[in-house]
Amino acid sequence: MKISLDWLADLVSWDDTPQDLATKLTAAGLNVEEIGEYAQSWPGVVVAKVVSCERHPDADKLSLCKVDAGSGESVQVICGAPNVREGLQVLFATVGSVLPGDFKIKKAKIRGVESFGMICSGAELGLDSDAAGIIELEGDHALGTPADDLFGHRDTVLDIEVTPNRPDWLSHLGVAREVAAIYRTKVTPPPVLKPGQGGGFGWKVEIEDYDDCPRYTAHGADDVAIGPAPRWMQNRLRAIGQRPVNNVVDITNYVLFELGQPLHAFDRERLAGEVISVRRAGRKQSVATLDDESRQILAEDLVITDGDGPVALAGVMGLANSQVTEGTSTILLESAFFSPRLVRVCSRRLGLVSESSYRFEREADWEMVRFAAHRALHLLQEFAGATILGDAVDRAYPDYVAPEGLALRVHQANRVLGTDLDMEQTADLLQLLGLKVQPLSSQIEGKTVNLMVEVPSFRRDLKQEIDLVEEIARVHGFDQGLGQGTGHVLIPGRRRALRHEVERKLRSWLPSQGYTEIVTSTFVARSDIDGLGLAEGDVRLECLAVLNPQHGGETLLRTSLVPGFVDVARRNLNSGAPAPVRLFQIGRVFWPAGEKAQEVRHEQERLLPEEPWLLQMGIAGGSGGKGLGGIPTDMQELRGVVAELSGLLRVPLSLIPADVEPYLIPGLQWEIRDAGGNRVGVAGQIDSGAAKRLDLDHVAGLVELDLGRLDLTPLPVRYEPFSRFPAVKRDLSLLVPDTVTYAQLDAVVRDTAGDLLESLELFDIYAGKGIDDGHSAYGIRLKFRSAKGNLKGKTVDMALERTLGALSETLAVRQRTQ
Amino acid sequence: MQEAIDRLRAEGLSRIAQADSPDALESVRVGLLGRKGELTGLLRGLKDVSDDQRPAAGAALNQLKLELTAALENRTGDLAGAGAGSMDLDLTLPGRAPVQLGTAHPLLSVLEEICDIFYGMGYDRGDGPEVELDYYNFTALNFPDDHPARDIQDTFFLNEDMLLRTQTSPVQVRTMERVQPPLAYVFPGRVYRNENADASHSSEFYQIEGLRVDRNISLVDLRETVNAFIASFFGGERQTRFRPHFFPFTEPSVEVDMECVKCSGKGCGVCGQTGWLEIMGAGMVHPNVFKAAGYPDDAYTGFAFGMGIDRIAMLKYGIDDIRLLYENDLRFLNQFRGVL
Ligand SMILES: [Zn+2]
Repeated sequence: MKISLDWLADLVSWDDTPQDLATKLTAAGLNVEEIGEYAQSWPGVVVAKVVSCERHPDADKLSLCKVDAGSGESVQVICGAPNVREGLQVLFATVGSVLPGDFKIKKAKIRGVESFGMICSGAELGLDSDAAGIIELEGDHALGTPADDLFGHRDTVLDIEVTPNRPDWLSHLGVAREVAAIYRTKVTPPPVLKPGQGGGFGWKVEIEDYDDCPRYTAHGADDVAIGPAPRWMQNRLRAIGQRPVNNVVDITNYVLFELGQPLHAFDRERLAGEVISVRRAGRKQSVATLDDESRQILAEDLVITDGDGPVALAGVMGLANSQVTEGTSTILLESAFFSPRLVRVCSRRLGLVSESSYRFEREADWEMVRFAAHRALHLLQEFAGATILGDAVDRAYPDYVAPEGLALRVHQANRVLGTDLDMEQTADLLQLLGLKVQPLSSQIEGKTVNLMVEVPSFRRDLKQEIDLVEEIARVHGFDQGLGQGTGHVLIPGRRRALRHEVERKLRSWLPSQGYTEIVTSTFVARSDIDGLGLAEGDVRLECLAVLNPQHGGETLLRTSLVPGFVDVARRNLNSGAPAPVRLFQIGRVFWPAGEKAQEVRHEQERLLPEEPWLLQMGIAGGSGGKGLGGIPTDMQELRGVVAELSGLLRVPLSLIPADVEPYLIPGLQWEIRDAGGNRVGVAGQIDSGAAKRLDLDHVAGLVELDLGRLDLTPLPVRYEPFSRFPAVKRDLSLLVPDTVTYAQLDAVVRDTAGDLLESLELFDIYAGKGIDDGHSAYGIRLKFRSAKGNLKGKTVDMALERTLGALSETLAVRQRTQ
Repeated sequence: MQEAIDRLRAEGLSRIAQADSPDALESVRVGLLGRKGELTGLLRGLKDVSDDQRPAAGAALNQLKLELTAALENRTGDLAGAGAGSMDLDLTLPGRAPVQLGTAHPLLSVLEEICDIFYGMGYDRGDGPEVELDYYNFTALNFPDDHPARDIQDTFFLNEDMLLRTQTSPVQVRTMERVQPPLAYVFPGRVYRNENADASHSSEFYQIEGLRVDRNISLVDLRETVNAFIASFFGGERQTRFRPHFFPFTEPSVEVDMECVKCSGKGCGVCGQTGWLEIMGAGMVHPNVFKAAGYPDDAYTGFAFGMGIDRIAMLKYGIDDIRLLYENDLRFLNQFRGVL
């Protein structure tokens, strides 16, 4: 809301700089976002007299004039206006002046004749929209008088952020009330004109449902002379960013910004019948609003109708069929109170937010409905030559009752604010805001009501005691007089909950392993999900869609973190990041087809999607190198990271080769299982088809772990004695048939080598020259250790013999001979 | 025997030290430990030692073997590092760690840092769903139906009842439904607004909500808590001011400004020349919210506050465009190495 200080000064007085006023308003809750200087000024433009005026020798429509701008010498200037003539006093832009729109006046040659300056029209000076002719000054001015002396205007304009609970601040009057409270002074209401009794108007108003329109007033005015509004009114409207139109329209606008009550003026001659009806439209139809748009309205929209049909969308905008025009001479002035909800619904549906709808949907001021009309009548009489008719109509909800007073317990105010106010202080603070208070008790305790507060019609936001408490704080100030708190520290040093501790561990450990954390968007496109190639029935195929997306296209909530990872990897690799990139993210996905909440407080909660909480790690852009057993080194790394992660979190995890995900290469992926054997994640390399669909030109592997599904309780730490005796190492070279997996071999060794086996490590796999077809040579190192003493070589040999025997028997694995 | 062992130790160690190339060292090794080496010879001689002395001599020989082996290994390392025996190394050559450090995302690091401060003040941390019911996001927070107050937050709707939460505040009511006062919680998380992205707006961003409820919590407690947080996070005694504002779920409601981090109140580009930075919205929990949570009338008072984590991260690190936080460009993220 823009507030002109020039305008505000009509309603209240204060003695402060604009900056200090702004600071105090901000402290009172009217956040001043900007202090603007408004200037209507034309340096270099002066009053001049047309001394002579002849036709341009080479152009019919141009005149060759000589003007005297006060220097006594005449200056030659070419003018194209039809109304230029000898003897006129005009506004003359001398060479070097700059007109609105950064239009610089220079010496010019027009059709061979030199011209030194310009005689200005209203449009050229930005004074009005009249571009057809030059301004003809009335009266006799000293030549050379700056145009600023005649038409210039300076103002300071505050741009105030108005919160939706305070529609009263959407007017100069409302802000004046706050200024009065701040400076301990009073508001001066503007002059009004009350219509007399009897004859002339004759219109009736019918209201179909008082719930839709609790109050409607109609006033009549005749003999209206449409013309420009007075200069000061135009200036004020311009200063707050409004464009003057004509006196009648400007007056209704002026009253809206002054008092906050929207008005509408109908051309009475263009209305049919003598009854205004406020009712629902009844049927869908298309109407032309006065902004020259054709709009569809629905049966349930509230409209104002005359004998023929709709003439206005109630509280939103008038229709073109009844609007005031140049030829208007009689008007019907509407000032009403419409249902905030109906105005809001209609305005939102039509995408038509007007100054009027903006105020009505925040609720009008009951008492202001008539006062504002009277204010407009005064201005119409003064500045549009109007004759005000009697017989005004004021239809109001017959059962309307002013809101009841609010009871205030000062004890409760002190409890919430931490203050130590007594009854008198509290009453004084509320009275500063123009609230009437009635003292009941000065005893400040418990539930004792101390004051009854009458709520004026312009403060319908005051609905309960706490609203008064806020007003007390606002006027009292948040910085002074507040007492002691209860101490902000509760129980020092709370601990993280387990899941947050896990997140913290991951976020500190993964970077130390070379992984960088990313934060990817919740929003994905259908193609992102399709790219995964999920099988029918996969929970991730069903996505929630945003009803009102930003950019038209379908916007879904992600059901997988994979598209986000791929996107980040692609963009970084394409912009030259050193390959490979290692990334991780901890994020939520949204599965409407997932498991629904079990225990709910509100039945609707069963509608909410499952929000799994996932950890994802990935490597993209690797060289594609192969490691032990031909497994890509990136996958080897990720497998290793999972194993270490299991140690980090003290949560057992195992990787079992299994084809789980359609977007991973079959035969190159693992299922991650928890201690109970449940699947809690997956690891694998992205399949080339999926990579293509997801637009990724690089090799990429990833791990996903469902942290929400994993029991994160860490294995307890309990010290166990360890052996201080030396270990005995034995390296074996085994000839392993290709049909045997390492896991099988590992299991047999661990089963048969006995309790003394401490560790088993695979350090080499070799196939090719010197190795039988269909076999590989595995280098494994066994470490034996006893808790009781030094191991004898013989003991170890016996264990080895057992193991080799079992390997040969069950897996046909033989020891290689040198 | 002992004499021979001592002599071999002295000679062996000296020969190892004098070997000046890997080849020379290898021949020293063979001379000492090889099949025909001197130590091997002594080991063979053990059988001639008397029964009572044999164990001691055996142990001494084993000990010597270990010493010589260690000395050989050390010398091997020296010779390899020295490059053909020269000690003339270019020690300015770069080192190489086994892995290059990655980075935690600064936005989430700031989130953790803020939580840490509140853990220290005795707060718990709670969570709520990002796909939320209209009820928890608006109705229970005292946003009237069809009221312009709902327009403050442009909402992404999923259907009539479901939306992407526009604030972390719905977790307030969810928590109070389960927990009886006294309680103190922070609720960090991702929120959504249907706004066009620019340097200071993103349609997805992070907030942290704070809530404290007890029998007699006042605005003064709020102010002390806010000041304690700001002093802890931004450091030093920093002026703050409360400006009255409007949020449907708190009353009185305020916006909290703090002295600009850059100019300390003198006025600069960061604070729009005002000397103040808006840092959070806050207020006293509205009685209607307590009612929605099922608390009896007048039983409790409490405060709530909410901050934009993105904005705080941007202030902390001088980031001038919020979109950088969501682009995940490694050239941006790498700058936060070591930040946790
Ligand atoms: Zn600053």
